[in-house]
Amino acid sequence: MSEVISAVPSVNTRVFFSKTDRAKYISHLDLNRAMQGAIKRAKLPVWYTEGYNPHMYVQFMLPLSLGQEGVREVLDFRLLEDVPFEEVTERLNNALPLDIRAVETAAPVLKNTDITTAEYEITADIDKEDFLKFTESEKIIVEKKTKKGTSEINLKPLISELSVCERITLRLPAGNDFNINPMLLLDAYRAALGKELSRVRIVRTKILCADGSEFR
Amino acid sequence: MTENLYKNTEMMNKLDEFLLDIQKPARYIGGEVGSVIKDKSKVDVRFAFCFPDTYEIGMSHLGMKILYGLKNAVPNYWCERVFMPLPDMEEQMRRRGIPLYALESLDPIREFDFIGFTIQYELCYTTILEMLDLAGLPVLAEERTELTPLVVAGGPCVCNAEPLCDFIDLFIIGEGEEVNLELMRLMEQCKKESAPKREFLERAAQIEGIYIPSLYDVEYNADGTVKSITARKPAPQTVTKRIVHDIDKMYAPDNFVVPFCDIVHNRAVVEVLRGCIRGCRFCQAGYIYRPFREKGKTAILDQTRCLCENTGYDEVSLSSLSTSDYKDIEGLLKTLTDYTSKNGINLSLPSLRVDRFSEEVFKEITDVRKSGLTFAPEAGSQRLRNVINKNVTEKNVLDSVKIAFEGGYSAIKLYFMLGLPTETEEDIEGIYDLAKAVVEQFYANPNRKKGKAPSVSVSLSTFIPKPFTPFEFEPQASEEEIRSKQKHIMEYANDKKITISRSKYDVSLLEAVLARADRRVGKAVYLAWKKGCKLDGWEEYFDMNKWREAFGECGLDMSFYANRRREYDETAPWSHINMLVSREFLINENKKAHEGETTPNCREQCSNCGIIKNVGGDICRAIR
Repeated sequence: MSEVISAVPSVNTRVFFSKTDRAKYISHLDLNRAMQGAIKRAKLPVWYTEGYNPHMYVQFMLPLSLGQEGVREVLDFRLLEDVPFEEVTERLNNALPLDIRAVETAAPVLKNTDITTAEYEITADIDKEDFLKFTESEKIIVEKKTKKGTSEINLKPLISELSVCERITLRLPAGNDFNINPMLLLDAYRAALGKELSRVRIVRTKILCADGSEFR
Repeated sequence: MTENLYKNTEMMNKLDEFLLDIQKPARYIGGEVGSVIKDKSKVDVRFAFCFPDTYEIGMSHLGMKILYGLKNAVPNYWCERVFMPLPDMEEQMRRRGIPLYALESLDPIREFDFIGFTIQYELCYTTILEMLDLAGLPVLAEERTELTPLVVAGGPCVCNAEPLCDFIDLFIIGEGEEVNLELMRLMEQCKKESAPKREFLERAAQIEGIYIPSLYDVEYNADGTVKSITARKPAPQTVTKRIVHDIDKMYAPDNFVVPFCDIVHNRAVVEVLRGCIRGCRFCQAGYIYRPFREKGKTAILDQTRCLCENTGYDEVSLSSLSTSDYKDIEGLLKTLTDYTSKNGINLSLPSLRVDRFSEEVFKEITDVRKSGLTFAPEAGSQRLRNVINKNVTEKNVLDSVKIAFEGGYSAIKLYFMLGLPTETEEDIEGIYDLAKAVVEQFYANPNRKKGKAPSVSVSLSTFIPKPFTPFEFEPQASEEEIRSKQKHIMEYANDKKITISRSKYDVSLLEAVLARADRRVGKAVYLAWKKGCKLDGWEEYFDMNKWREAFGECGLDMSFYANRRREYDETAPWSHINMLVSREFLINENKKAHEGETTPNCREQCSNCGIIKNVGGDICRAIR
């Protein structure tokens, strides 16, 4: 296939959206399709690639694992005409499925490489004391799948801002180069516990930069 | 969105416990764009529309989309979708005591007023039973004594509904657009009056197109054939299929449920015509969907535009039995491509006839990505094509193939049937000869890509005689006959560029048995299901041994239904159903087939199939 690769103009529109409830069962690939469908239905004048097979150019910052929810996920595209950001949000919401909502639209400020961390909220049928004790162990060794196979990593130094109250909240490294799925921690805990965890709910609440500020 | 939109959160919580362990969970939770959610407190009649196959298959079906939109357009009616879960999901549901639920509300379907099945092919019968059972309902109609849920069924297979009579309370014969709403209105009324089930059925029997099997008695002759079918009052002796009289004013969906996951046909679909002018003698659809009616160009364009805008789809497919028989097909394509090309939408045209495959039409469809093209000559020789009244010539096929090759295609698929009435070895060799002529056509193209070989695949299915066709009297070829025919063509084959695929006989046999079954076969369907049969249309789940045992245990012989010639004066199990095409016409067509005589298509000349006599002169638009 000798598709003409055209230069990608910079994106100028960033939509923060939530993906909750039923929508957590939508894979990233399906989310991509759902978003493009919504943009088309909303008739937003977005930029298409100019190759042999033009397609809508949209970019997701950080894919969310199947089964996890997100309240402030990030989607970028380029608008070819001025549409007020509030109107973009509204038009998208009229075109999106109920469990995916546009929260806010803004001009992109930071680049995806600025993302370093994400914050998660976890609920599950867990003995919280016990879980806390587990996270205090010296090392939490897990197997992580990488492009080259699997490698062993120690999660312990990667967890930050852990709080175990009503819910468990914690931060883990995030980004395109190095990303830790919170399920790794839960799987390790499950293995240590020797039994299944039920009613597990993972919500990504924040996408953060090195200085701890929210990704904009 | 200010309305109080309903969702069963208790069910959602139960599903949350295990859905992530299930393959493609998005199929089981609904919530798609275009799915209709209502305020349950304002709904009077609830309809669970069940497609007895997987989500991916059912969601691709146009009929379901039409009836879904039509019912939900009534504010106090709510129609929801239900599909058959695959075994991993079903096993979890059964283990956890989760009954079959509908995708919009997530409510168990046993709480609905109607559970309606659309029956598109015979091999889904056991799946219907499995779905009823998974819903927590008795599969036998007589064991469901309450008015609701009432189990109803429609679709092409119910033109011979007999093997399903034990399980279904009511059948809808013919086109569903009007009669579905009439039934729902009757339900609304009967619920208000607290009428019992029996009263509902008796009142429904007065509606044209409604068949209540429990109001008919069947007697048999000593040789096993049907002796008589007698209606009990107040049911009519003959049930006549419903048709929509004004196709332009008929409801057409302006929106589809857009699935999250990929499905078989994930695109907008617009119906362009109903019925077929061709009269291929093996084709049930060609007879039971008569009369021939075309939608106007403006209506088709409006529906296309509306659907594409509401769904965001960038592919639209024109749907009909034979789209190229649309009278002004070139005008229609021009009108449509004016819109689609401006909006970056691909237009796809399945069901083209080889004799109408002109360069003009070809140009319109080649904007679509070039994949393979499929042609269906159905039989290998002109003699046999005349017998089946598939009025295409070898030249038609080769001309079309030539256009396709010149247009850059190199893969051609050819569909044929084995076991057609009067078939000889010469006809079978003709199949291969035609495939070879197609290969030669590729090399005859001077502009072909050098170094590239054509790929021609020949698909051989087994002929299945169907009710309401001129071949309903014909025996299906036996397994030995089909095997020897398949063997013959394999021995005759000598070109590596031609690949041959054969269908499994067992599947075709079962389809043939169920298609022309009588009421007694219901017992075999029940036993097969009890033995674990479901999703019979899926090779990985199909188990013919269980079916054979089931037939054996109820003392029924499959070959009696499939492989026996039926006399013209035999009472067919479906003889109390009037599909508007007359039996005399079918008999006459059968005789002509055996004489190798063709019948002109309806546009060339009316052959008095019975439509005009049955419904009046202006409904059939084949000639005008």
